[in-house]
Amino acid sequence: MRILSKIKQIGLLMSLLTLLPFMVAAMENSECMDCHGDADMVGKELTIEPLTFDNTAHAEVGCHACHASITDQHPDDGLAPSKAACNECHDEVNDEYGNSLHAGYADCNDCHNPHQVRGPTAVSGQDMNLKCAICHERTEMLETHGEWLPQADLHISNLPCVTCHSASDEYVISLYIIKRQSGTMFGKFDLATYDELHEFSGGKPIERLVDTNADGYISLAELRMFNLDPAKKQLRLQGMMTPERLSHDFMTLDNRWDCSFCHASGPGAMQVSYLSLAQGDGAFKRIAVEKGAVLDALYGTPDFYMVGSTRSKALNYVGLVILAGGMVMPIGHGTLRFLTRKNRKNEEE
Amino acid sequence: MSPKTRIYLQPTPVRIWHWLNALGIITLCVTAVQIRFPEHVHMFANYKTAILLHNAAGLVVTFSFTLWFIYYALVSRNMFKVYVPSKDDLQYGILRQAKFYLLTYFLGWANPHHPTPENKFNPMQKSAYLAIMFLLVPLVSLTGLLLTNVSPMRDLVLLIGGLKILIAIHFLLACSLCAFLFTHVYLATLGKTPMAYIKPMWTGWEEEGAEEHPHKAS
Ligand code: HEC
Ligand code: HEC
Ligand code: HEC
Ligand code: HEC
Ligand code: HEC
Ligand code: HEC
Ligand code: HEM
Repeated sequence: MRILSKIKQIGLLMSLLTLLPFMVAAMENSECMDCHGDADMVGKELTIEPLTFDNTAHAEVGCHACHASITDQHPDDGLAPSKAACNECHDEVNDEYGNSLHAGYADCNDCHNPHQVRGPTAVSGQDMNLKCAICHERTEMLETHGEWLPQADLHISNLPCVTCHSASDEYVISLYIIKRQSGTMFGKFDLATYDELHEFSGGKPIERLVDTNADGYISLAELRMFNLDPAKKQLRLQGMMTPERLSHDFMTLDNRWDCSFCHASGPGAMQVSYLSLAQGDGAFKRIAVEKGAVLDALYGTPDFYMVGSTRSKALNYVGLVILAGGMVMPIGHGTLRFLTRKNRKNEEE
Repeated sequence: MSPKTRIYLQPTPVRIWHWLNALGIITLCVTAVQIRFPEHVHMFANYKTAILLHNAAGLVVTFSFTLWFIYYALVSRNMFKVYVPSKDDLQYGILRQAKFYLLTYFLGWANPHHPTPENKFNPMQKSAYLAIMFLLVPLVSLTGLLLTNVSPMRDLVLLIGGLKILIAIHFLLACSLCAFLFTHVYLATLGKTPMAYIKPMWTGWEEEGAEEHPHKAS
């Protein structure tokens, strides 16, 4: 017994030790955040939103690791603290990006705020596009892409730029909840914020808006229920085809000219989808959705359809029956007509 | 042999409409197969060609439908008479015509319907064309127009229930139209000779007796 509890104690100590660097980082972070987490103390420019920062991978790295030259006298020393270069830790991405044409146009920090970093699956497609929109204005993109891309406005609104301009070995359908601007009949839909979703869920966790049985998984039935619920008329699901990873070459990929990269991949490629919800800290959390949900004939995702690749099998069969109905006369009547042709013989003369 | 009488059955605007429409709808059907099943069907070099062709053909059909509508509603002003079955048609005509197609035709009897410019369709044609021209073609065109302008007309799309509902309506109605086409083309060959009905649709003139069967006349 004694030995067992000793082992337990050692185990606890060991796990505390492995956690130590993070705890130190967290402690140090909070030290800095006493001032930098408060706009009244340091001004808006120098504020780092604590809630956002604390849940990034960089929070574990800690302020000190990137601002190494900071002294105990800061800020009274009047020295500007050093700022780490991204390549100190991200050489792979750095090499990849460094070799691209785009490296001449933008730095890591043009697209990333080091205090708000997220992976591609923890941001919305809309957020990713905000990065590009800093330099590539939407109206201009509509114009240049519209020269060759049918319904460019639809594509640009419903695809992250990086789906076409960065390679990934895997794409999924991400579903986001969008909300009609309040009080309007035909107002624009915007990505629903955490607070807005919270209002709709009536105090329950926002996942429950769709995941009604709270099992961390969204079945087709739950999806249909959400889409048909009149109380949620202001809310809709927007689907986007998003990359699971992304390469940092930001080029024009040849096969993205060809519509069939997305539209002829077949329903097999459209099996995986996630519901992606805004969290309080600004990140997006994903909940797995039943396989093949976006291929449902009507109410799985009533407003998401990628022509050619998310067609419904059930509707195909209904269509086939209708077409077969159209063949009844030509085949049935035609056969009898042929067999009874003698009865009408003299007319042919 | 007595000189044949001819009647002017199909005025020029109707014929222009009809063949534009036929060309358009056949193009739509063919391109649609590649658009829905792109990984299996490769008739056109690339997907975009199929889409652009489909969109263009859709516009042709919509345009020619307008021509048809304007002609019957404003120029000849007999749309109602030509296309809406009368009470008599519904009570007896359809049955009589069905009996002809399904039975007496095989026995070599005459077609009970004799077309005149004011009453050119038999009761079954009337009912079918009424459904085609007042329901199917307008609805397929309208859903098609929405599908080619999803972003600007998003609110209308949502009013219908969403993009997927719109696609489902468009797809099923289009299948019905295609099914009609099979039946229609087949029935068009049912005259005295296979071309006897098709020729007037091209030239406008019908030889009297094209729909008759000879042992009555002779
Ligand atoms: C007592 C409040 C306070 C604390 C604690 C504090 N800072 Fe600062 N910090 C400031 C102020 C005020 C400035 C602006 C100084 C200036 O403009 O000369 C500043 C400036 C900075 C800058 C430079 C911004 C620029 O414009 O380049 C960095 C980086 C920075 N702080 C990081 C940190 C880090 C990391 C910590 C924790 C180790 C920290 N600070 C702790 C108040 C604070
Ligand atoms: C992964 C590295 C990294 C970490 C961790 C990090 N910073 Fe920074 N920080 C930077 C870089 C790089 C810049 C310069 C950004 C630029 O030039 O746009 C910067 C800029 C700043 C600035 C200037 C204002 C701004 O936003 O550009 C302040 C203040 C600051 N950091 C404070 C902190 C504090 C406080 C922490 C910890 C809570 C922290 N940083 C954690 C990399 C980091
Ligand atoms: C001191 C080391 C260090 C520096 C410097 C650094 N990072 Fe990171 N970064 C990390 C670590 C550790 C992770 C988490 C593991 C990973 O994804 O590689 C990370 C993750 C990220 C992520 C992904 C976040 C996620 O949740 O997947 C992004 C984006 C990122 N960094 C961008 C930057 C940018 C831009 C810079 C330069 C301003 C930078 N990093 C500088 C250490 C660093
Ligand atoms: C043109 C804009 C752009 C530039 C420049 C850029 N990135 Fe990114 N990066 C993105 C986007 C978009 C994502 C997707 C996640 C997101 O939106 O935060 C991303 C994701 C990442 C990730 C997470 C990758 C993953 O798969 O988890 C890392 C790490 C990263 N970037 C590092 C860097 C570094 C280091 C640099 C500079 C060498 C850099 N980025 C330059 C746009 C950019
Ligand atoms: C800091 C400004 C900036 C940001 C942010 C930025 N770009 Fe660029 N990008 C440029 C400039 C400048 C060019 C060259 C001029 C042009 O083609 O418009 C360019 C060119 C491109 C090109 C054409 C490259 C080629 O091969 O000719 C692509 C593709 C591109 N950007 C994609 C993106 C994407 C995707 C994002 C968002 C993840 C993004 N850019 C964000 C500045 C930026
Ligand atoms: C459907 C795929 C697709 C999407 C989505 C897309 N692009 Fe492109 N983009 C392309 C292709 C293909 C080209 C090459 C066309 C050309 O050179 O004319 C291109 C060209 C470009 C160029 C270079 C030519 C120019 O227009 O200046 C830039 C910059 C660019 N895209 C940025 C973006 C941005 C930013 C977004 C997101 C708002 C975006 N693209 C979304 C496929 C796409
Ligand atoms: C190659 C294809 C086609 C052929 C050979 C064909 C043949 C004919 C013929 C012979 C007629 C005249 C007989 C009659 O009045 O019923 C006719 C009329 C008609 N056809 Fe077609 N047709 C074709 C395609 C279509 C299509 C695609 C549609 C509509 C979707 C259509 C709709 C109609 C209608 C509504 C009429 C009556 C026109 C009127 O006089 O107002 N046809 N067709």
